Amino acid sequence: MVETKDAQRTTADPGKREFMLDVRTQDMEVNMGPQHPATHGVMRILVRADGEVCTGAQPHLGYLHRCAEKIGENVEWLQYLPYTDRYDYLAAMNNNLGYSMAVEKLMGIEIPRRAMMIRTICAELNRIGSHLIAFGTYGLDIGAFTPFLYMFREREWMMALFEKICGARLTYSYIRIGGVFNDAPPGWLSEVERFCDVFEEKWHEYVDLLMVNHIFVQRTANIGVIPRAMALDFGLTGPMLRGSGVDWDLRRDMPYELYVEIWKSGCFQIPLGKGERGTLGDCWDRSYVRVMEMMESIQIVRWCLGSIASGPVIADIPKTIRVPNGEAYAGIENPRGELGHYVVSDGGKVAIRCRVRGPSFTNLAVLEEILPGALIADTIAIIGSTDIVVGETDR
Amino acid sequence: MDFRGILDRLQVVGAPGLLGHDLPRPPDPKDKKDKGRGGDPFVWVEPEKLPAFLECCRDDARLSLELLVDLSAVDPSKDDPNLWVVTHLLSLALRHRLEVKCALPKAAATMPSSASVHRGAQWHERECAEMFGITFRGHPDPRHILLPEDWIGFPLRKDYVFPDEYHGISCK
Repeated sequence: MVETKDAQRTTADPGKREFMLDVRTQDMEVNMGPQHPATHGVMRILVRADGEVCTGAQPHLGYLHRCAEKIGENVEWLQYLPYTDRYDYLAAMNNNLGYSMAVEKLMGIEIPRRAMMIRTICAELNRIGSHLIAFGTYGLDIGAFTPFLYMFREREWMMALFEKICGARLTYSYIRIGGVFNDAPPGWLSEVERFCDVFEEKWHEYVDLLMVNHIFVQRTANIGVIPRAMALDFGLTGPMLRGSGVDWDLRRDMPYELYVEIWKSGCFQIPLGKGERGTLGDCWDRSYVRVMEMMESIQIVRWCLGSIASGPVIADIPKTIRVPNGEAYAGIENPRGELGHYVVSDGGKVAIRCRVRGPSFTNLAVLEEILPGALIADTIAIIGSTDIVVGETDR
Repeated sequence: MDFRGILDRLQVVGAPGLLGHDLPRPPDPKDKKDKGRGGDPFVWVEPEKLPAFLECCRDDARLSLELLVDLSAVDPSKDDPNLWVVTHLLSLALRHRLEVKCALPKAAATMPSSASVHRGAQWHERECAEMFGITFRGHPDPRHILLPEDWIGFPLRKDYVFPDEYHGISCK
């Protein structure tokens, strides 16, 4: 019973959990996963429950560990690129971009302007696709099946666009060190524009169907609250951080590639959680940030389409890349937060160290803190709102 | 703030354990073996003082490095007697980054945990510990994180030997 009282102290609104006290319960440990639909991959969360209240949570990862960092020390620089696709497989373009940027930084190569345009378009389209999955499956987790199918409809088109430009639907390896693999096929850019037009219309459907849906708001508001100080302490990034009202986006605050110009043109904004439907930093706020970001990404894509440059799409680099002695860190704004690549070279064909700082890994750690005190039914909603990709936590 | 400014400030506040810094430089034309160094500048810090250093960086208003982005380690080579423990810090308010490096002897790879300063360091240190064999003293939860508890050896060390089998599963 002591456990229950402790749990009540940590909930946002202890008054409402009063009814739990007169129920005689005992502690029980439940394994959520490794195969559980809400963990979105192979992950296990050991939940300790007292009746309906979660009193402790311990994520166990590593089921999908594929030694990406070790592989990085054993293959050549360019050969590692396909492995980057495989950690955050929902945003592979962004991973390619992050790795390429770290290596380019160390090599000091200049990227052609057209390549940067295409990179930005692909990265932002992939961000939309990733947020569609995040938001769609989040609805699915808490019992809203239909919006998920709507979102897959648009994502399907996005994947078809990627298939046209690079031949792959999920693991692209399209953004290369020095630029992109090949130029966009004829008509591709105008199809992207059509996609933007259609998506802007459909986006309102998601908002009506799910975002402001009363049941959805009731399930997600006021739970899993991450205050600002906790978010900083855990090193959260991306929508998890912005959901807590912290105004930080690498695309604006530490701009890379074309984002300096794009931000100056004023075409996009950084949506922040405001606690509109509940408490600041709750699950609803995080979803809100993701949904709003999709629209901002569309504006970025439109800017790129409007000012697309002609010219080469890849810098002149040798087939076997030799990276100068040194080390570099490049962080980009992945859909889930800051994806950092820290590469160390001794001037050879192979890296000394190829560290990946995946946003899912750090974002997942916060569960240990926010799950205790929540109702068991809410744990699903809280885990879903962190939007982790297990491929990236385990690498 | 640029790296110079951060370094000056670290010296002014007397950041604990600050040993020196390393800037990128072009190769020396007189010395043919010298390869120069590219990439990012960083500071060297005593491993024993790392938590205090991080705390100082976080709490000083003009450094304001409140976010621990990453903590990992590097084994530079088989012959090197040291491991590097590398921490990346980020300031949201002032929009700058700082890379902090500690040289930790492989023979006695132990240092204090920074988890009490940045809660986010906890998982990074668990990963670092299992991959490089570093002991973080005072770590609140020193279990393995990605590897099974009974894994033998430290995979990201350069002298790691791949196992032949694991629980009857052939690894060859």
